[in-house]
Amino acid sequence: MNAASRGTTVAGAFTRLLEMLRPDLLRFAYWLARDRQVAEDVVQETLIRAWKSRDELKDPAAARPWLFTIVRREHARLFERKRLPTVDVDEVEALGDPALATDDAALLDLRRAIMQLPDEYREPLVLQVLGGLSTAEIGVELKLTQAAVLTRLFRARNRLRTIYGLEPVEDVE
Amino acid sequence: MSAAAPECRQARLHIGADPHHLPADIAAHVEGCAACRRFRDETLSLDGRLHAALDLPLTHFRRTAVVHTRRFALAASVVLALTMLGFWLLRPASALAGEVVAHVEEEADSWNSHENLPAEQVAGIMRTAGAQFDSPYPVVYGYPCPFKGHRVAHLVVRTPTGMMTVMLIPHEHVRRRTEFARDGMSGLLLPAGEGSVALLTRDGAIADSMADEIVSRVHW
Repeated sequence: MNAASRGTTVAGAFTRLLEMLRPDLLRFAYWLARDRQVAEDVVQETLIRAWKSRDELKDPAAARPWLFTIVRREHARLFERKRLPTVDVDEVEALGDPALATDDAALLDLRRAIMQLPDEYREPLVLQVLGGLSTAEIGVELKLTQAAVLTRLFRARNRLRTIYGLEPVEDVE
Repeated sequence: MSAAAPECRQARLHIGADPHHLPADIAAHVEGCAACRRFRDETLSLDGRLHAALDLPLTHFRRTAVVHTRRFALAASVVLALTMLGFWLLRPASALAGEVVAHVEEEADSWNSHENLPAEQVAGIMRTAGAQFDSPYPVVYGYPCPFKGHRVAHLVVRTPTGMMTVMLIPHEHVRRRTEFARDGMSGLLLPAGEGSVALLTRDGAIADSMADEIVSRVHW
């Protein structure tokens, strides 16, 4: 196989990788931004940037955390560039977004409760549960110590326990 | 829950933060502490629901991003014939077996679960992992785990001969049935359509009839 053919093959494989991960990138962007249109814009920019930087991804198995990192950066960049207002999730509009809709009332309550978590708790939780990042990777991503990551994840789940019908437990220091 | 002892508070911090990956000392404490064990089981159950909650259907989102991605691909590609998946298909099954064992060892606590998971939670895991599996045995542990860049269903089922890990791997094809034994575990890799199924136990060889029954109930 000559160099041009190899380049074509790699480009095709990379495109398929992006296609495969795009749904979770969109979900992550949505939970980050809590706004569908912003999430779509962020993912659009993410895919463009990822395509341009594809040579930086040496190991396809690392694609997920690599792309999630780009989503975070593009999200921050978008807010900085457009000076978008932060979403106030106390507004009925955000909690009534059809993207959250489900026939399962308990699941809807949980989605709305996640929407209302403070950023500092919601973001590591989504990175872990949806992104599959380890606590160490989350620490690197959010520039937090391992202890801080554990505390935030604990508090996020502790807040959601009551929505799930469980008693909250004693907070950790 | 009432005020807990320091070691229980420490255990609950870890359980509440990362219930699927407990340090060895915390896992040992949990096994000997009924209250912490209950907290772990509750948290694992909550996590199944959390995953389902975060896994939004995308019917209300636009599809423009993919269109643009395709355009980039076309600009850069003359032929889009071979895929990375094609390359991975040629990898030896032994490498996949090693990765399955390594993954299960990272979640060694999975074999300590005893409560049957609700069917709804198992269905959520299957949706996320892109698989269908009508398990002939009760599922006592399940998570849509990151594995080789994909989400795969990682289950533990209670069979008549003991606990068995079942990993449904739609993105890895194996050509033939392959037996392996590592670190005290016996395993089987089995072709299942375009993907594969990995079975792993600590209770000796896996009966062919059991393996065939499981594979027959897997669909992608």
